[in-house]
Amino acid sequence: MTRARIAILFLLTVALGIAGGLTAPAPVEAQKAGGTLTIVRPTDPVSLDPQLETTAPGAWVYFNMLEPLLTMDEKMQIRPALATSYEVLSPTKVRFKLRSGVKFHDGTPLNAAAVKFTFDRALRGTPPARWASLAGSLSGAEVVDDLTVDVTTREPYGPILRTLAMYCTGIVSPTAVQKMGADFSRAPVGTGPFKFVEWKTNTHVILERNPSYWGDKALLDRVIFKVVPEEGARMIALQTGDADMVLLPAPAQLLALRRDPKYVLHEVVGGRVVFAGMHAALPPLDDVRVRTALLHAVDRKAILENILEGSAVPARGVLAPSVFGFKDMQLDRLYPFDRAKAKALLAQAGFTPGPDGVLQKGGQRLSLSWLAARGRYPKDGEITEAIQAMFKEVGVEAKVQFLEWATVFTQFRAVTLNQHMFTLGWVTSNADADYSLYALFHSKQVPPTGWNTSRYANPRVDALVEQARRSLNQTEREKLYGEVQDILAKEMVWIPVYNTKEIVVTRASVKGFTVHPVEYNLWLGKVWLDK
Amino acid sequence: MLTFVARRLLLAVPVLLGVVFVVMLTVELIPGDAVALMLGEHATPEAVAKLRDYLGLDKPLLVRYGAYVGRVARGDLGRSIQQNRPVVDELADAWPATLELTLAALLLAAAAGVAAGVVSAVWPNSLFDGVARVGSLFGLSMPVFWTGLVLIVTFALWLPWLPVGGSGSPGHLVLPAVTLALPSIAMVARMTRSSVLDVLHEDYVRTARAKGVAERLVVAKHALRNAAIPILTLLGLQAGQLMGGAVLTETVFAWPGLGRLMVKAIFARDYVLLQGAVLVFALAFVVINLAVDLAYGALDPRIARQG
Amino acid sequence: MAVRARSMAVPAAMAPATLSADAWQRFRRSRLAVAGLVLVGLLVVAAASAPWLAPVDPGKQSLIEKRVRPGGKFLLGADEFGRDILSRVIFGSRVALLVGLVSVSIALGLALTLGCLAGFAGGWVDGLIMRVVEVLLAFPYLLLAIAVVSALGPGVLNTTIAVGIWGTPTATRLVRSAVLAAREAEYVRAARALGASAGRVLTRHVLRNILPTVIVYSTLFMANAILVEAALSFLGLGVQPPTPSWGLMVSSGRDFLLVAPHIATVPGLAIMVAVLGFNLLGDGLRDALDPRLRGQL
Repeated sequence: MTRARIAILFLLTVALGIAGGLTAPAPVEAQKAGGTLTIVRPTDPVSLDPQLETTAPGAWVYFNMLEPLLTMDEKMQIRPALATSYEVLSPTKVRFKLRSGVKFHDGTPLNAAAVKFTFDRALRGTPPARWASLAGSLSGAEVVDDLTVDVTTREPYGPILRTLAMYCTGIVSPTAVQKMGADFSRAPVGTGPFKFVEWKTNTHVILERNPSYWGDKALLDRVIFKVVPEEGARMIALQTGDADMVLLPAPAQLLALRRDPKYVLHEVVGGRVVFAGMHAALPPLDDVRVRTALLHAVDRKAILENILEGSAVPARGVLAPSVFGFKDMQLDRLYPFDRAKAKALLAQAGFTPGPDGVLQKGGQRLSLSWLAARGRYPKDGEITEAIQAMFKEVGVEAKVQFLEWATVFTQFRAVTLNQHMFTLGWVTSNADADYSLYALFHSKQVPPTGWNTSRYANPRVDALVEQARRSLNQTEREKLYGEVQDILAKEMVWIPVYNTKEIVVTRASVKGFTVHPVEYNLWLGKVWLDK
Repeated sequence: MLTFVARRLLLAVPVLLGVVFVVMLTVELIPGDAVALMLGEHATPEAVAKLRDYLGLDKPLLVRYGAYVGRVARGDLGRSIQQNRPVVDELADAWPATLELTLAALLLAAAAGVAAGVVSAVWPNSLFDGVARVGSLFGLSMPVFWTGLVLIVTFALWLPWLPVGGSGSPGHLVLPAVTLALPSIAMVARMTRSSVLDVLHEDYVRTARAKGVAERLVVAKHALRNAAIPILTLLGLQAGQLMGGAVLTETVFAWPGLGRLMVKAIFARDYVLLQGAVLVFALAFVVINLAVDLAYGALDPRIARQG
Repeated sequence: MAVRARSMAVPAAMAPATLSADAWQRFRRSRLAVAGLVLVGLLVVAAASAPWLAPVDPGKQSLIEKRVRPGGKFLLGADEFGRDILSRVIFGSRVALLVGLVSVSIALGLALTLGCLAGFAGGWVDGLIMRVVEVLLAFPYLLLAIAVVSALGPGVLNTTIAVGIWGTPTATRLVRSAVLAAREAEYVRAARALGASAGRVLTRHVLRNILPTVIVYSTLFMANAILVEAALSFLGLGVQPPTPSWGLMVSSGRDFLLVAPHIATVPGLAIMVAVLGFNLLGDGLRDALDPRLRGQL
């Protein structure tokens, strides 16, 4: 070739390159379609139907197959899903317009009748759906026309929108449910970007791409969810390449994984608060000075650094930051770790050191009984033991009884709680403060009706949460909940320890994945493999 | 022979009935409600009550027992409370894994134990014998769950030759089977050694030796034949022990078998599933005992004649 | 030349074994038996003198020093709370011994009562007791213990009861067969023919005769009791923190198996040594007191 030709060729190439670069889509790496994503997690689902299963193992899988009317994105904002718009008709009725042209995996169309069928089945079925208890005042749906449905509540219900964005309210195909009967729970049919292929119990569940999805089609061909109960074995599977994604990874290895370029650690503050609860109606914990002293006796920072090792963040209140209505209760400023202060407060409350170092008052040792389970929440047992030792340092004896969750749960739900302290975790299932503040702190929500295990009672708080529940004005609700949390902060009945982090570890070849603050919302629709 | 088998099986029925009753009674006594647990923290008391009623869980114990026995007689083991899946299906998924593990461990125990025992007996007080005897003592004393963990550490950290958890490939079977088999290998080796040693001193063996039959043949033909009975008894007992020990081993190695299923069922208070699983175990036990008895009959006609 | 009888079958009539000086001589000659005695002795000493022997308070936490490797300040390393493993292992011997001793007593007490009842009364009483024993034996062994602890709740006492109940069926069978054998013994029949009452026969001859069996069995049972308690604690159903139990220590070390293996492996060694000691002692006692028992225990 002549020099001139070479020069022209070169210039052309450069020009094309620049043109190409200017018009290329924003992601620098081209998304590749295809491939199988293998995910490992500890337990098998009980069912793939929200009618029977609301816990993570099932939710992780069906979240990609069944879609609700609305959805919450990673910033916890409500976004349209199967519904394109809504209109509040009255305090107990909201009208939704459905997306047109959407088909279920079995080919039948999505319409208002399907929505009504889903809700009737859940709320009025025998037995009612597992998620019915999460739905608050939701009472059903009415068909207006093929693509318009009215959702009704029994009474004015502020959290209604967030309720309809919950992972477990996915719309199911009425045809499939009627045809398959009980088998539907093992092979659900919805509208999501993935559809069901097979489920081998205690081994794996396989999903494949839904080519007729209404939105951006999934990039992966298949997803395999495998069961690997041992934490160590899950991590090994990741290292050997048997798994591409690990759910619930081992906290002790997170540090090493963060530094390793072969893996990506996806983390975001999650929705669960784990705390040491106090029975506010059982002496000596009915004295707010004693409760405050106990709060000062706990070195939350040491627990988070040494026991949780970066797998969780300090709790900033009784709610998680991702919850609508959350207010930072400034716990580090109000209740810093201060043994001297703790001892002083206990002395003020009338306790003096006894012969063996344990405080006593009027001949009675300051001995607290504590009910906890092990392994229900990450490091719950270890945290309990650590706090037990910290209490000992200020002269408070804690007698812990570790029972298995089944027994502990039964005792928590009983009419009377005989223990002073308990270890529990709480997730706000619909990401709305009403769900937690009402059930946990309203004086009438004492077990077995609600979850006010602490037996906390404050009439002002009762009035505030009732008012906030009935209002559909979200700004007003936020203000009311802020006031509730201010009051709670002054007379704490919990020692909040940590707020979970949703952590997912993937191999570097897994792209397009964003972890969601709500643990159940494992969205795989945008994931692709760079292999 | 057939009547012998039939009679033994018939005698097993009251045992099995008793097993079911004990399980039901125990779950009754253990605090914890399967339904409340299953529905979780966010269920209302009304929802729990409705589901309990639907599943018929509030009827008195004897009524439930009777109903259950009736169903079992028809081959229906009920539906697990947690998964609402037929218990037979759940068991069918889990028992092959336990069978695989237990058989592998039993074969290992028989092969390694008998071999080590025989060699020890033929060359008593040798180096091999010393090592084998000490090894057996250690093998008997090591807690199964600890052995499993030590093996996991060794093979995960230093000798990455074998997978350390779960199931799937034949390689996955090695560590759990070895862990489970270890105490049994030790016991079988000890028993074999002492039985064979006893027989080696018997008169007829001395006579055989005097006649000039080669040492090995003597051992093989006479000693083992006669020592077979106590060894067989031990193996039979071991099979039962191994099934029981599978509970721990399956937990440590995440082996998806019946043992793990049973532990999970207890923790979830799923008594329907638990009963089914225990029944299968008890049945297996009965069958094994029967097999051992039949083997006796084959080895020693005198016992067979007694029936 | 008799074919060795099946274990648990009625042994051939035997003359009473002796607990005399020659038994002691035989015992002393076996090095393994003496080693067993030494190990058990060490265990007892450790348990008795734990508060003085242990370098630090076994419950003292120091989160900063979590999972420190063995050596230096922490001779056997520190656990996930920064507690000294050596001190915890020493204190753990108390739980092991306590559970072992008390559960053996429970099992023996129940077994002697039931076994003698079955052996002497015979008939439907015997049948009933043996059927119950068979039912209990048909359970996978750990499940029974788990069930008992789940019903009673965890804790040292309940674990002890659970282990005791777990051991009762086998012990009952053993006592019953020993009673049956003794009943048929020549000298016993002679005594009865001479007019001695069942009660006297029982106390003077039968119990004396089964004493060696009982002693050997108890020692071997202690070994198993320690293992079962460890297994229960391992599953989270045993002793409560902060009481150190070897099984619980192994269990909590599982989470750190790959980063700090000493937390799980060291307590396991303690279990092994204790169990080994009782096994050696039991073997030695059996060989010294009545080697004919070798086929049965």
